Amino acid sequence: MSVNLKQGPFEPLIIAFCCNWCSYAGGDLAGTGRMTYPANVRVIRVPCSSCVSSNFILRAFQRGADGVVVAGCHPGDCHYTSGNYFARRRFLLLQRFLEFLGMEPERFQVHWISASEGNRFAAVMTETTEKIRALGPNRKLRDTR
Amino acid sequence: MKQLSERIKEAAFGSLSSGQVEMVIGWQKGPLWWQSFPAFITDPGETASLIWDPFSVSNLNKYLLNEVPKKKIALFLKGCDALGFNQLLRDGRVEREKVLLFGIPCDGLVDPARVEATGLSKGLLQVKKEREELVFYYKEGQRKAPARDFYYSKCLSCRYPNPVTCDEMLGEAVPCQPLERFANVSKLEAASLEERFTYWSRHFSRCIRCFACRNVCPACSCRECIFDIAEPRWLGKAKESGETLFYHITRAYHVAGRCVDCGECARICPLGIPLAELNRKFIKDINELYGEYDAGADLDKEAPLLTFKSDDPDVSA
Repeated sequence: MSVNLKQGPFEPLIIAFCCNWCSYAGGDLAGTGRMTYPANVRVIRVPCSSCVSSNFILRAFQRGADGVVVAGCHPGDCHYTSGNYFARRRFLLLQRFLEFLGMEPERFQVHWISASEGNRFAAVMTETTEKIRALGPNRKLRDTR
Repeated sequence: MKQLSERIKEAAFGSLSSGQVEMVIGWQKGPLWWQSFPAFITDPGETASLIWDPFSVSNLNKYLLNEVPKKKIALFLKGCDALGFNQLLRDGRVEREKVLLFGIPCDGLVDPARVEATGLSKGLLQVKKEREELVFYYKEGQRKAPARDFYYSKCLSCRYPNPVTCDEMLGEAVPCQPLERFANVSKLEAASLEERFTYWSRHFSRCIRCFACRNVCPACSCRECIFDIAEPRWLGKAKESGETLFYHITRAYHVAGRCVDCGECARICPLGIPLAELNRKFIKDINELYGEYDAGADLDKEAPLLTFKSDDPDVSA
């Protein structure tokens, strides 16, 4: 993808899966509030954090992402009542598993961001980008083709 | 062992000739000492070829998925197979009233690779088990050795040597003396990130993606598998580290919370990849985070990934 093909210093590519009801709206609020966050983050809108399959996350890494963020409603606030509770279990296990295989734990993150937390959205994305920038490019789960 | 072999033949003959079942799935001896193949028998006259020996390791219950019985199918289950059978039941893939289960208490089975490693396999004709010892038969005599030295590692850490479910037990219950099953996982967890990555990429680089680990697994029973579908093609065909990693992460993740820890995946792997450790990492984490859960044995508990608590530990940011 284009970010990493550019010459010059390393710019991480970060894919953010944002739930339609909270985190995507939080991102919108960050925009309308004119808060800045790095352009390295590519947002993909999903209906719920629990519908983010491990396939999406792994595929993002394979195709060149240096970090993946899944963002959803705070536990207890899920639009579908309980989706993020299931997501919390699954992603905690996946995170620990990726670490077990030798992936840096910072590369796959899960955050709870509500629709009113535009500033939090911007802060999380900035912080994540800086962490991944410091780690360098993802070579472990990436397709070499 | 010999006695058990006789009882297997009797049970198979009885259930077939009485018309209670239409097929018996058991084990048959192959031409070489280490070969014990699954056998599918419909004629009561052929039941005499059924055996039970130290190599009858194949889990038979996955074959139930290919059969559509009008009556019943009879099946022999070891302790590990019974856990897998329970998981298939729980996943709604088999009907309990369509199977007749004969339980076999089993204190461990012999890994041919370990026999070969000791050099005992040269000119070997037959291996028999006599109580705690293995007897190796050659053209010019025989040798004896303690049986436990030759067991599969999955058998050494077996927690359910006696089937947890069956219609009829053949033989006496055997004692259980499992080794700590999370020892290797804990050892790896203590290693550094780079060491872990090197360890796993070294193993995964050998993977030929034959899918034997998926096919043998009693928790992998989807009618349509993500690795087979062409559209969307989640898993490519290239020999490529990213694809292999995708496969192994996804396989282990899909059986998380349903893996019965029978160790068949690691046993069947032709390249010797320690696949069971991946599943055990999930089991260990689930036990630590969401309470002890033994898939296949804890039938009254809810599966850990199909439920939640509002005060579950949070995903660390």
